[in-house]
Amino acid sequence: MAFPRELYKALEDIVGKENISENIGVCETYRCVPSQSSAHYGPTKNWTPRPQAVILPGSAEEVQNIVKICNKYGVEFKASTTFWSTMGYIGGDFALQIDLRRMKSIKIDAKNMHAVVEPYAIAATVQAEAMKVGLNLNIPGVGCSSSTLANFSTWVAFGPNSISMGYGNENVLGMEWVLPDGEIVRTGSLASDDGWFCGEGPGPSLRGIFRGAFGAAGSAGVCTKIAVRLHPWPGPADFPTYGLAPAYKADWGPNFKCYTLCFPDWKSWARSIQYFYESDIAYSGHRQFNMFGRNLKGAMIEIISNHERQLTDLEELVNDPYIKEQTEKMRHDYQVVIAGFTPKDMEYKEKAVDYILEQTGGWKSEMMLEKDKHDYALLYLTRLGHKNLNYVMCGAYEGVLGLTGNVWKAIEVADEATALKRKWETEHTSIAATGGDSAMGCLSGLGGGGTTGWEFFTNFDSYDKNSVEGTYAFVETTQALMNKYAFGPDFCRWNSDVRKMNGYNYTQEEQNEMFKKAAQPWVFIYQYKIREAINPKNLCGSYVRTLDPKALEE
Amino acid sequence: MESMKQNLVDIVGAANVIDNPEVLASYAKDESFATPMKPWFVVKVENAEQVQNLVNWARKSQTPLVPVSSGAPHFKGDTVPSVPQAVIVDLSGMKKILSISRQQRMCVIEPGVTYGELQEALAKEGMTLSTSLRPRANKSVLTSVLEVEPRLNCLHQFNYVEPLRCTEVTFGDGIQMFTGEAGGGPQDLKKQWELGKWQVHPGGPGTTDIVKMVTQAQGSMGIVTWASLKCELLPTVRKSYLVPAKKSTDLEDFVYKTIWGRVGDRLFVMNKAYLAYLMGDTVEQIAELKTILPNWVAPVSLSGDILLPELKVESQEYGLKEYAKQTGVHLLPEVPGVTADEVIEKASTPSGENYWKLTYKGGCQDIFFVTTLDKTPKFIEAMYELAIEVGYPTEDIGIYIQPQHMGTSVHLEFSLPYNPDNAREAKLVKELYTAASMRMSKLGAFFSRPYDIWSTIQLNKDAQYYMLLRKVKEIFDPDNIMNPGKLTIK
Amino acid sequence: MALQDYRAMMERCSNCAGCKFIPFDKVKSLRFAENCPSIGYYNFMTYSARGRFQLSQSLLDGRAELDDTITNAIHACTSCGYCDIGCKITRYNLEPLEHNIEQKAYAVENGKVLEGQKPVIENLKKEHSMIPGTKKANRTDWAKDLGLKDVFKDKADVCFFAGCKYSYDPKLQKVAQNAVKLLQSAGVDVGYLGAADNCCAGRAHQMGFFADFKDRANANIKAFETAGVTTIVTPCSDCYHAFKRQYPKLGSNVKVLHIVEYIDQLIQEGKIKFTKTVPMTVTYHDPCHLGRLGEPYVPWDGKEKKIFNQIQIWEPRRPRYNGIYGIYDAPRNILNAIPGVTLVEMERIREYSWCCGAGAACNESNPEFSAWTAGERVTEAKATGADALVTACPWCKDNFVNAVDENGNKMEVLDIIELVQQAI
Repeated sequence: MAFPRELYKALEDIVGKENISENIGVCETYRCVPSQSSAHYGPTKNWTPRPQAVILPGSAEEVQNIVKICNKYGVEFKASTTFWSTMGYIGGDFALQIDLRRMKSIKIDAKNMHAVVEPYAIAATVQAEAMKVGLNLNIPGVGCSSSTLANFSTWVAFGPNSISMGYGNENVLGMEWVLPDGEIVRTGSLASDDGWFCGEGPGPSLRGIFRGAFGAAGSAGVCTKIAVRLHPWPGPADFPTYGLAPAYKADWGPNFKCYTLCFPDWKSWARSIQYFYESDIAYSGHRQFNMFGRNLKGAMIEIISNHERQLTDLEELVNDPYIKEQTEKMRHDYQVVIAGFTPKDMEYKEKAVDYILEQTGGWKSEMMLEKDKHDYALLYLTRLGHKNLNYVMCGAYEGVLGLTGNVWKAIEVADEATALKRKWETEHTSIAATGGDSAMGCLSGLGGGGTTGWEFFTNFDSYDKNSVEGTYAFVETTQALMNKYAFGPDFCRWNSDVRKMNGYNYTQEEQNEMFKKAAQPWVFIYQYKIREAINPKNLCGSYVRTLDPKALEE
Repeated sequence: MESMKQNLVDIVGAANVIDNPEVLASYAKDESFATPMKPWFVVKVENAEQVQNLVNWARKSQTPLVPVSSGAPHFKGDTVPSVPQAVIVDLSGMKKILSISRQQRMCVIEPGVTYGELQEALAKEGMTLSTSLRPRANKSVLTSVLEVEPRLNCLHQFNYVEPLRCTEVTFGDGIQMFTGEAGGGPQDLKKQWELGKWQVHPGGPGTTDIVKMVTQAQGSMGIVTWASLKCELLPTVRKSYLVPAKKSTDLEDFVYKTIWGRVGDRLFVMNKAYLAYLMGDTVEQIAELKTILPNWVAPVSLSGDILLPELKVESQEYGLKEYAKQTGVHLLPEVPGVTADEVIEKASTPSGENYWKLTYKGGCQDIFFVTTLDKTPKFIEAMYELAIEVGYPTEDIGIYIQPQHMGTSVHLEFSLPYNPDNAREAKLVKELYTAASMRMSKLGAFFSRPYDIWSTIQLNKDAQYYMLLRKVKEIFDPDNIMNPGKLTIK
Repeated sequence: MALQDYRAMMERCSNCAGCKFIPFDKVKSLRFAENCPSIGYYNFMTYSARGRFQLSQSLLDGRAELDDTITNAIHACTSCGYCDIGCKITRYNLEPLEHNIEQKAYAVENGKVLEGQKPVIENLKKEHSMIPGTKKANRTDWAKDLGLKDVFKDKADVCFFAGCKYSYDPKLQKVAQNAVKLLQSAGVDVGYLGAADNCCAGRAHQMGFFADFKDRANANIKAFETAGVTTIVTPCSDCYHAFKRQYPKLGSNVKVLHIVEYIDQLIQEGKIKFTKTVPMTVTYHDPCHLGRLGEPYVPWDGKEKKIFNQIQIWEPRRPRYNGIYGIYDAPRNILNAIPGVTLVEMERIREYSWCCGAGAACNESNPEFSAWTAGERVTEAKATGADALVTACPWCKDNFVNAVDENGNKMEVLDIIELVQQAI
């Protein structure tokens, strides 16, 4: 249903003609095909609904006015930034897509180590600006191409350097939100105009109603500005790199090392991670390149770190005796970046790494110490610039078997999960056969250690109907293993209860049916009540899980 | 009233319902200037079930509940009822340490566990808990973390409420739930442990950080009956320094640089008066220290635990010396009157039976808020100006600056000792406290923990935030039974 | 190829945002991090390579139509090719630039062109020049009195190909003349096509007017063959790209050098010697079609194959144009060789250089967009502190000369040949 003229005109008056469009072709480009992009509910070829219009506000005030108009006319709205994920797209037919790309400022308070950012400031730009003053930020695993604000305020945000910097939830300071009813709320010290430095309070932290373990993915209004905590960067201010595209590399001198640490088994692997949790040695820690799979990672590392190489070389490289041997040595591995604040600090950290290896029977991968590989991996883990690595093999992927949480528990399941995926790889052709174990993710999703953030990368071809359908079938099977070991919803199913497979929002009745069965359904009731308080017309989609208390009473 | 009492007896047993006038009187006021208000009963609870029953009873009977976990003396007015006919819910008897996991560096404790008790138990496992500055001997660890008392080690404060992770909470609507990671599994700790879940992740459950509803809340949302806490490894090597300065601003660059360089596990700044109050065990010692200590001191401490501890301390010492050199300050093992080791030891351990802040004059009023280090001079200057205006001795003003949340902000505290038995002095301090709180607020002080008059001062600054806060309070405490009158604008 | 032949690419785009930003590893600031002029100016997703992939699906499936807005969106692309480079940092099997141009061709086939494009193409058809209002009869006026050999009459080692802009633009004719004089004074045996001099039509290709491009290209290829031209030297980056990358697909075997390559070579051989100091700090703009799109064409005939179930590869190995072998060092060598000149770099350089805005005739069809794009570059150039912005393409120079930075200020813009001339 097209927007009534007076509605469209009102929106146009807010942002100007050039910043709104209801052209069907334009609106078509604001639809998401879950098989092509990240969906967290398994790939489908169903497009999300087409918005009736797309609007590009330039300020929080404009956002507020847009939201007020949406409330007046009962229009669903959802704001997004880079539009990478399905989460950012509207889920109904009478809906307005808000594109926040015109809002991208970054202001840094170097002394007090935080940056105030607008929605379209992607992590690469925040990091670049921060590095100029000796600071850095937690770039989540999604990569530096994503919006810092979106990650931190409305999604998860853990990544390689979470171990030394914390995850999204921990790094948010003051926030500015346009509530779904059109009111603007500022949290923490910002509320009283005292500054952006503190995100909690006064009193109970209202930040807590906007994001928890993860965020509301646009279903709790529009976050228009946040302060994120920054962390020390002991490297060069101008982020020098070298090498030819796409294999850019970095050599920042002896104060930076990137090691691929390898272990004889999962137990020693986990013990070593515990050492890193218990020390402040790792600047970054990620099981990164295993995303290419246990059998292919050595060859893929050779391809991505060498600008002359191509995927066409993959088979040959996989069979190369040296790469084969090196790949085998990296079965139980992960990468760490060690950064020295002083030469003495570096000396200590180097010795500490050696000590950990000594205690756990581990070793440093020789191949990954070769200069080109080392320098590639160092740059990759620091900027996460090649989010592409998620796509480089097949163009599409889905994360499954999310063994997130306790590392000791995760390793108990690792072999079984590997076997499950390997079986699918050999019995079906729908997913890339990479060797079963393709678990990747951060050493710790929490600052100072404590929880892993794994997912088994499952690569497929979004153009190939059989591949898409086969991958969908595969991700349907992984939940059983997750249930068996009480890991909760699998990565690939995180959003299966917030958006239907056909791309549309869930109704309240449908959510009631799902959430009343939860072991502790209370949070869904509170989320329902919070939504009733700030979003009485339920206009922002169904990414907040809600349970009508009446349904529980029944 | 008798039927009320019987109802309470039915819930917690006769021995745990107290209406002795003397006891009630002791809860009617604290060491602050909060308006005294006698409660109806004091109820000692023993478990979460009793708490839930109590809350449900309170909803039906429209009885205000004021949770208290620490022993007296209290200082902030949060445990003093703001309305008549309240029931004090005394959780201090819930003293179980429910679990300690060395592998996960986690512990789960009940509200009555004190720092001394917990640290002793953790030490046996080679662990410790980050601490606030020399807490009271009977201070509830759980209250301390729920109220977000600043920690001495800001560098491990990844989360603003570190070391607090998950909780069990009974909200004012009677719902009892686990928060954080624990909220996603079975509502049974033992079952969760069997599943390998150690209540590590504080976020959630879901898209809401439920735990944030009960932090800095003064018990106005719900009652927490256990909390999981992130522990640290017990240091095996420690080296401490004192950095003296004439002015606080002389230490600014050093503190920023040290935080940036991620050096040490203790760092704070105190003026001579505050340090004297901390270190002096008697009035005389304090008086002596106030004459000989440097104007300002930044204690800083380096530690190592299991991973090449000596080498770690050595490397950190190298960094610290570099930063000191770069910022023009000196690292000293001692200054006249105190050694660095003594300061760190005292700051890190619970107070003796007599709370240290009361040693000097028997009473003490604090004014504290959150700001940034570079803004502290203007607050300090304003405080001195006001003290002179009202006639409070400026040399008695204790000032403590505690960097927090990995250095993004600081807790700035002014401590004003006074003799509570001297009416004139008490009046003067009350006047100074009120005037200074307002002045600080105008200058940009953020009263993140808005006790007493700070509630009105802070919440009046943003109507939108206050309105939303009230809406949220209505969700979690629809009958307004949880410590009503707190976090309101008067 | 037709638009539907790109269906696999459309459905394989991962929406990684690589087409909108310079390589993420190279980002040094917020201000100069982005790199797609089209979405930079128009802001809607539709204007990015990702949006264009998505749009094509909707067009082919009948959900969207070629109305005025969409026609504008399709053509409001300078074909600068950065999206292609950004994409190839990620992917081995997508060709966003080819697709963008194919999408334009689809619009053209359906009669959907912009008003501003019509005189350009009309002029190409009638006068063999892509500058509206210019006449074929005046094409070689610039070359009078230079003593250039007509290669149809006299053999020459190299054939100088000025291109439309240098041939007609009165402000630029002198640059072309100086370029020829430079070669002559260095002893180069240089000629030109004389009356057969023609438009390369590379810009028609960038605009999706494939038939018009082919007409001119075939005529030129025939002329080269007839005249026995083996080496072409051109000072125009658009011509360079057309000859280097597009013409070989139509059978051309002629060797192509941009003037900067030739001058660099002559300096190294000692045939050009600088005698004057030019005390100036300059920054260099890499023209898209000389830089990232200046890589040599490599013939390939093969097909897609899947290995390890779903990994898509090309059999045999297919060339991957990721811009790294474009002409970047030659102009910098020249600038560094000029006494007194200090070269300072902008943030967006080499394969991820920002476009001047004149590509695909957007300066004619979408002048405001084109001017904004040029202004962005002038802002970036000014941020380096340079006295002048130097380039090696007449279209770039012209667009920069007329542009202002974000504060409304102009900047001195020099063709690299002008700077060389100053030093001799």
